[in-house]
This record gives sequence, structure tokens and C-alpha cells, in this order.
Amino acid sequence: MIRQYSGIVPKGDLLLIQKLCDKLKGRSFIHVNSTREGGGVAEILQRMIPLLKDLGIDARWEVLEGDATFFEITKKIHNALQGNREKFTKKMWEYYYEVNRKNKRNINLNADAVLIHDPQPAALIDFRRKSARSGKKIWIWRCHIDVAHPVSGVWSNLRKYIVQYNSAIFSVSKFAKSLPIDEFIVTPSIDPLSDKNRELTDREINEVGDQFGIPRDKPIILQVSRFDRFKDPIGVINAYKIVKKYNDCRLILAGSPATDDPEGEAILNEVRDYAGNDPDIHILLLPPDKHKEINALQRMSDVILQKSIKEGFGLTVSEAMWKEKPVIGGAVGGIPLQIVHGLTGFVVYSVEGAAFRIRQFLNNPDMAKRMGQEGREYVRNNFLITRQIRDYLSIWYCTMNRGRHVLEL
Amino acid sequence: MENNIEPFEFKQCVSIVKSTGRYASNLSELRKLISRVGDESIFHHVYQYFLKGHMLEYTNDFAHWAGEHLEERALAERLSSIDPYTLKSVSEVRKELIREIDDFLSHFPEPRDVAPGGEFYFNETVSLVFPVGVKTRNLAEFLVAIGHIDAGSIYYHFYDSRVRLGEGVVDDFSRWIEHTLYRKKVADKIRAIDPFMHSIESIREHIKEIVEECVRADMEGVED
Repeated sequence: MIRQYSGIVPKGDLLLIQKLCDKLKGRSFIHVNSTREGGGVAEILQRMIPLLKDLGIDARWEVLEGDATFFEITKKIHNALQGNREKFTKKMWEYYYEVNRKNKRNINLNADAVLIHDPQPAALIDFRRKSARSGKKIWIWRCHIDVAHPVSGVWSNLRKYIVQYNSAIFSVSKFAKSLPIDEFIVTPSIDPLSDKNRELTDREINEVGDQFGIPRDKPIILQVSRFDRFKDPIGVINAYKIVKKYNDCRLILAGSPATDDPEGEAILNEVRDYAGNDPDIHILLLPPDKHKEINALQRMSDVILQKSIKEGFGLTVSEAMWKEKPVIGGAVGGIPLQIVHGLTGFVVYSVEGAAFRIRQFLNNPDMAKRMGQEGREYVRNNFLITRQIRDYLSIWYCTMNRGRHVLEL
Repeated sequence: MENNIEPFEFKQCVSIVKSTGRYASNLSELRKLISRVGDESIFHHVYQYFLKGHMLEYTNDFAHWAGEHLEERALAERLSSIDPYTLKSVSEVRKELIREIDDFLSHFPEPRDVAPGGEFYFNETVSLVFPVGVKTRNLAEFLVAIGHIDAGSIYYHFYDSRVRLGEGVVDDFSRWIEHTLYRKKVADKIRAIDPFMHSIESIREHIKEIVEECVRADMEGVED
């Protein structure tokens, strides 16, 4: 299975994955999250579990089961960890704990390494067997969300579980907390073989263009993101309007509706109103599973934006860079980690900045091409799924060898 | 004959980043934390800067932060001029960083905070070192290998060796070429590559050029 990635990802990553799997052969590695489908965590697990099995690891993936009340509570926890004020009662935390306790009965947590994803199943650590606490079993908590500025009461409730783990993993340094356990940094990744990122034929790309009625007669500027204020779709239209005074072009805003956001529909209507009757602005509302269509839109574009004003990691930037597209992103969340300003794209701080950089790319195709190529290479070395698998295995191995800063394999 | 030659074994270093959970919002906080964090963190932010693979304007993370986030260019230049390979240990690097910052603070004692999101986060790493399965016994084989190994392997042999092998030792490549192949001129040319002025890819290209020139000369019977 791992051979599928040969020639695409860095050789060293494949080699290290195999070497670590040789060391860890026959051991059990269980992942627990709260959804089988949808979202980046499920995407990586779908790919990673069979790959690890193929390399001799006894890998399993378990999903926490909960009812609507539980997921309403964990949605609030999620929002509060991202800094939004939410009302919590003692009963809600008891319910959260109780669902974790019930799941303990159904999920076999007896494994050499247990990786728990996000807050929903975090309390499972409380049910770790006593023998496992003193032994060599390793429990790791993986946080995929931005916890840089959490609501303190919510974080402290969760923290009492997190400190029981052997180590924690955060996506970005600034999300890490001051904890008495080891904290590793593992950035998210994209899968170069998935429908969203695989190579497409010209025919496939053209079909999508036709499907959405997008003529290929002028340069295309694209932003792919949910329709919410933090992605600044109005700012993107404003930047396009500035560019349009100098360079003829089209703008595509493509994304899924923010169904869990009560403001989602209002923002979409606002964006539509603001775009007016401009035939060169295309607002595309796509269901979240339209991966190939998003891939094609990215590949037919000339400049790709992610002009967010608040962002988790913003993997759409890496998706665009993988397709050798020049990118422009807001200086928030994980975007500056992906865009090396002036080398793999431009980081901007304003509508005017975005417009200026779009014009630069449209008027300097050589520069756009060079940055696109640099961007792909940067993603190849840093943001592909094999690097994330490599990191998980490395952290397991490092935690087994805690205290050593250099490990020879 | 070649069977008696100790081959050059290419290895690679992959670093897994660990957070210390500490960060600085201004220069005074940075100074305080530089004096307190472990050697591993200083090592990561200074020596492992070159692992990033691309050439930036500065030569370590502290200088980069001073220039890009504090917007104190003069301080950034001075921090960038610290050569960690001429200093004997990480603690000497730490002393030099503190000396430069103290000097700057004596002239500008009230540093301002960076914009939110621009804080300096202190990290460290655990390094995993492994052979990549390539051994070379002569310069022609070496030339093929250097073109195909990952950037992490060039980092390990060109930068990490300077610390790993101690004072006075340069890179693994030139050491092997001089002491095993007895080609001192080639080794000297590789040693003349300024480690601070190139990206890893550019270092790869320079080494390729140097070795290729030598291999071509050998094939043409030209003595070096």
C-alpha cells in the first residue's frame, strides 16, 4: 500500500515509516475519534489504518458513540475551546463523562498505544486500566482544534483529563499549552492520492467548468471555503473589484454552507447581494463531498486565495500549493506556516494587500509559475499525509524512549 | 581495491517538534526565556534553522523573529551574525544571544509587544536518525547519490555533523572525501561553501558541481 506513494512523497518519510513499523511490528495501535466520515480526522484515519496494518502494526479505529445531547455538549466544548462563550452546567459535564464511561464498555482500549482524537473521547483516559498506568502502554491525546485562547473554565475541565495522558499533540505551536506532559507539534496534511488532490485530466477539469457554467476566457481567481465571516468572502469580492479596474478576471467563491452556524445562511445571502449581477462572479454552493469538483476548480484557477481573518490551519492553502498554484492568504492560524512569504506565495493583512498581490501574479506569470512550483515542493516536504503518519509513529516511539533527544534507528 | 575503502553511508535526520509551552511577546520576555529554556530549545532555534530547507533573510529563528515580528532590523542583523559553529557549545551560543539582546536593551530599554499571533514560541525536537540504504565507494557513485537523497540527508551530513563531531570538524562529505578518498582539493572546495548563504537545495547543487568537475577530470585523465 505504501508503494502507492512512492515517487510522490519524500523518500525519507516512506523509509522512516517502514523502519518504525519494523520496530513496532506486532504491537497494537488504536485510534479513537467521534465520527467515521466527514472531516480531516476521519480522512486521515481511513487512509492510515489499512496502511499501518499492511506494515505489520495491529492498528484499529474505534468511534465513540453518543446521542444528540452528547454531541450538542461536545459542540459547545469545541466552540468554547476556540474562544466562544458558551453556557455550561455541571450536569452537562456529568453527561459528557457518562457517555465516555458507557463507551468504555464497548471499546476495547487494551492496546500498546492509544491515540485519542479531540475532546469528545478525551475522558476515556479515566478508564485506563490500572495495570496500563504503570506499564508500557502509551496514551496520547491529539488535539486538532485551535485552543490558543480557550474559555478558561472549559479548558480547565478538560485539562484534568489531558494531564493523565503520556503526551499530547497540537497542530501549531501557538495552540500548545503549559502542561506537565510532553507536547508534540504535528501539522495537518493532505492526501495527494485523494479525489481532492489527485491529478485530473483536462477533460475532467473542463467537465466541471461546463457543469458550473464557468467560461475559461479570462484569468480565474478562486477562494474555496465555508461561507462564514472568518473566511472574509466580502473582503475577497472587494479585492476582486479593485483588481478588476486593472485586469479583467473572474472570481469563484466555492464552498459548502455552514450548516452548524446559525449565521451561515445570512452570510451567504449577504455575499450574493454584494456580488450583485456581476456575471464574472461565480458563487458555488457545493455539498462537502464534492472533492473532485473542488480539485478541478483549483486546477482551472490562476490565483488562489484564502483571505481568512480567523483560521484553524487552513489546509485549502496546501491543496492549492500542491496544484502548483500561486497562493495569497491572510496572516492567521496555520496559513503563515504554509505560505513562506515571497517564496511560496504571499501573506496579506488587508483587502488592498490581497488585490495588490493578485495583480502581481496576473501580471507576472513567470513569478506565479515559480512560486507555484516552490509551493508544491514545500507541500511535498511538509504537508503530505505520509509525513503525518511518520510523525504519529515517531511520537509513539519517542514516548517509549522518553528522555532521549536523538534516537538512532 | 575499492572493497577496502570504507564506504560513505548516507543517513538522514528527521526531527519531531516538541513544544516547551513557553512563549515571548516582547524582547525582555525573549531574553528571560533564552536564559531559562533547555539546551535542546536553543539548539533547535539556532542550529536546526537550516532544516527548514529554504534560505531566508536571517540565520536563526531569534534573528528572524526580531526582524519580521519585532521589526528591529539592527538587532536581527546582529543576532544573524552569530556563528554557532565557531562557538564551543550551546551554552556559548546562549551567552552570545543574551549579550546581543542585553546590549540592544541597554539602548532601547522599553521593548514593545508584537502584534497578537506574532509571539515567539519556544520549541525543541527529538531527532530520529536512520540510514537511507545508500553507500558509495567512489566519487562517481557519490555524485549519483547526492543528486537523489532527501534534503534531510544533506542537512544531517552538511550541518548536523558540525555539532555532532565537535569543534574543528566540518561536514561529513568533505571529511570522507579527504580522509578516505584522499582528494583534499575536492574536500577543500566543499568546505569553502558558506553554510549560511545557501538553501539545502543550493548546497546540493554546489556539491554536485564540485564533484562532477572532479569526476569529469578523472575520466579525461586530468590530474587535480
